[in-house]
Amino acid sequence: MKEPVQFMSQLTAVEYRVPEASALAQRIGSAIAESRIIGHACPECGKVYVPPRGYCPLCSVPTRDANEVDVQPRGTITTFSVITPLQYQGQEEKDDYVQATILLDGTHSTIGMQRINGVAIADVHTGMRVAAKWRPESERVLSGGAGRNLALGEAIAGWEPTGEPDAPLSEYADYIV
Amino acid sequence: MRTRDVAIVSFAQAPLDQPPGMSETTLLLPTITEALERVGLTRRDVGFTCSGSADYLTGGTFTFVQMLEAAGAWPPISESHVEMDGAWALYEAYVRLLHGDVDVALVYASGRAGLSVSLRETLALQNDPYYLVPLGADYVSLAALQAKAVLAATGRTERDLAEIVARARRDAKTSANAAVAGDFAIDELLAKDHLVAPLREHDIGPPVDGAAAAVLVAGDRARDLVERPAWIAGIDHRADPHYPGMRDLARSASSTLAGEKARVHEGGVEIAELTTVCSADELVLRDALRLGDDVAITPSGGSLVGNATMVDGLARIGAAFRHTSEGRAQRALGHASSGPCLQQNLVCVLEARA
Amino acid sequence: MTATWKLEFPYRRSVGPVIGAFLGGLRDRTVYGVRTAGGRVLVPPLEYDPDTGEEAGEMVEVGQSGVVRHAAWISEPLRNHPVDRPFAWALVQLDGADTTLLHAFDAGSPDAATTGTRVRIRWAEQTEGKITDIACFEPETSS
Repeated sequence: MKEPVQFMSQLTAVEYRVPEASALAQRIGSAIAESRIIGHACPECGKVYVPPRGYCPLCSVPTRDANEVDVQPRGTITTFSVITPLQYQGQEEKDDYVQATILLDGTHSTIGMQRINGVAIADVHTGMRVAAKWRPESERVLSGGAGRNLALGEAIAGWEPTGEPDAPLSEYADYIV
Repeated sequence: MRTRDVAIVSFAQAPLDQPPGMSETTLLLPTITEALERVGLTRRDVGFTCSGSADYLTGGTFTFVQMLEAAGAWPPISESHVEMDGAWALYEAYVRLLHGDVDVALVYASGRAGLSVSLRETLALQNDPYYLVPLGADYVSLAALQAKAVLAATGRTERDLAEIVARARRDAKTSANAAVAGDFAIDELLAKDHLVAPLREHDIGPPVDGAAAAVLVAGDRARDLVERPAWIAGIDHRADPHYPGMRDLARSASSTLAGEKARVHEGGVEIAELTTVCSADELVLRDALRLGDDVAITPSGGSLVGNATMVDGLARIGAAFRHTSEGRAQRALGHASSGPCLQQNLVCVLEARA
Repeated sequence: MTATWKLEFPYRRSVGPVIGAFLGGLRDRTVYGVRTAGGRVLVPPLEYDPDTGEEAGEMVEVGQSGVVRHAAWISEPLRNHPVDRPFAWALVQLDGADTTLLHAFDAGSPDAATTGTRVRIRWAEQTEGKITDIACFEPETSS
């Protein structure tokens, strides 16, 4: 026989349905449309989760609408990355930008992948106090669900420094990630 | 080697009727709580956790990690996962308990088969990448070939398949996990068109989402928790060659061997809960496990009334647990299967005694 | 109406010497099996004997025709299936092989796809070293 085959190419494709949004996800989306951020406070330990998951992962109990709390769009940068956008096909970013994880005031879970604006990249630091700048309502494109970044990226243009003194490390050391 | 007695003391399964948008985590959390609370345990009492699921069903890598929140993973726990039906997670938990240093294990499984646009296409990717995937050979087409083989070898007919389906649907009338149930006339079933001959649509369990949990306890601790624990009298799993053309599809040598090693016939069983995603599977398995007419087959209705991929096998063991602990049988078996044409099989024999 | 999304992975799989020899044979419009120590010829080949676990032995050429052992008629093929009109899934024992090959049999009608039917390979117009170089099986008697 002539040469054996060494490699076989195979394009694997699977198609999935986008799952229905739960009642909670819809509620989160409605709040964001009204420039409100909501969290759930665990009825047992009192910790506040943003976005609410419908349960407390530490106490393993459900959390419900009755546990809903309003969360101010204001918090502390716990960690961040400076992203140099790779110019792959479809990439819309051109310049370096900062993506941060933020601990919103009064909460015990961080929100990630938030854009930091209004400050030189070199000046961004952990402990920095920031507040949300919402997009004009007409520019908000809501996907109708709460993604990993709370779908805020579609409603919030980014977070900007408030000018307050930095939060002490003790306030956010347990919530870095 | 000294071995310990290990029992299943509790089992819970999320009912099919759920609000929209439930994730596997939100399905599992109350299911796990229920399984533990039934015997007065909490997550803190668990020494080892093992789960089964398949990321193929969600389309996301490592999605099974998210489900760990349902098990309560802080403070850090000792846990493991198999990309298999939860029955294999139960096997691993059983082996872990034999070590002697841990008494309580939590087993859970989940799967959202409903997320696939075509479950047949999604699961086709789990087959041999060189010989089967390029043909798009799906589990229904493969089951049809096996059905042909077993009908030819045993002289059974399509009427026998319809009777299996009618019985399953009748038995499932009170089940919380049946997507279809009720009384169906054999002739009406046989009048339907074939999906892939000799199988009709009703010969294949409708894919459903699922979540289930079981609690395993070793030794005297089991007796402390329940009066008549369902002891695991035998458990074993075996695999046949993957490629369907390598074996006689009318037989299931791996089921026969697993049944022998699980000591099914050292005491027999009154009830056998079999994982039969396809009606013809029951014909193959009854013969392979030598289950006579005196054995009640899958009285829960099983996968034929709702195929909860990744949960089916654990749910069959759970059903066997319910039969023994609720006094309907002294010995019952739960069977799980994985792979094309009943390639891999697990048999778990439970015996209720004080 | 529900939204859907598609996950795609482009793979380039290494095949190893045994499967590679089989696929190379298909590319050349020949079929090879592997002979076990016990003398069985496995088609398609495995790297090991499923009965004993021993490494498989030498490659042997088998015929391009054979007999249908089991066939299952599908009237509504899925989009990924080898034939886009109704066909029979078949387990075909090629002449000289001791196991069956699973593939599509373009029989034309369910009555023409029964146990015992003689079939032959219909090769793809372009072969590339994949199982789909066998486009499907066709009745041996077709012209």
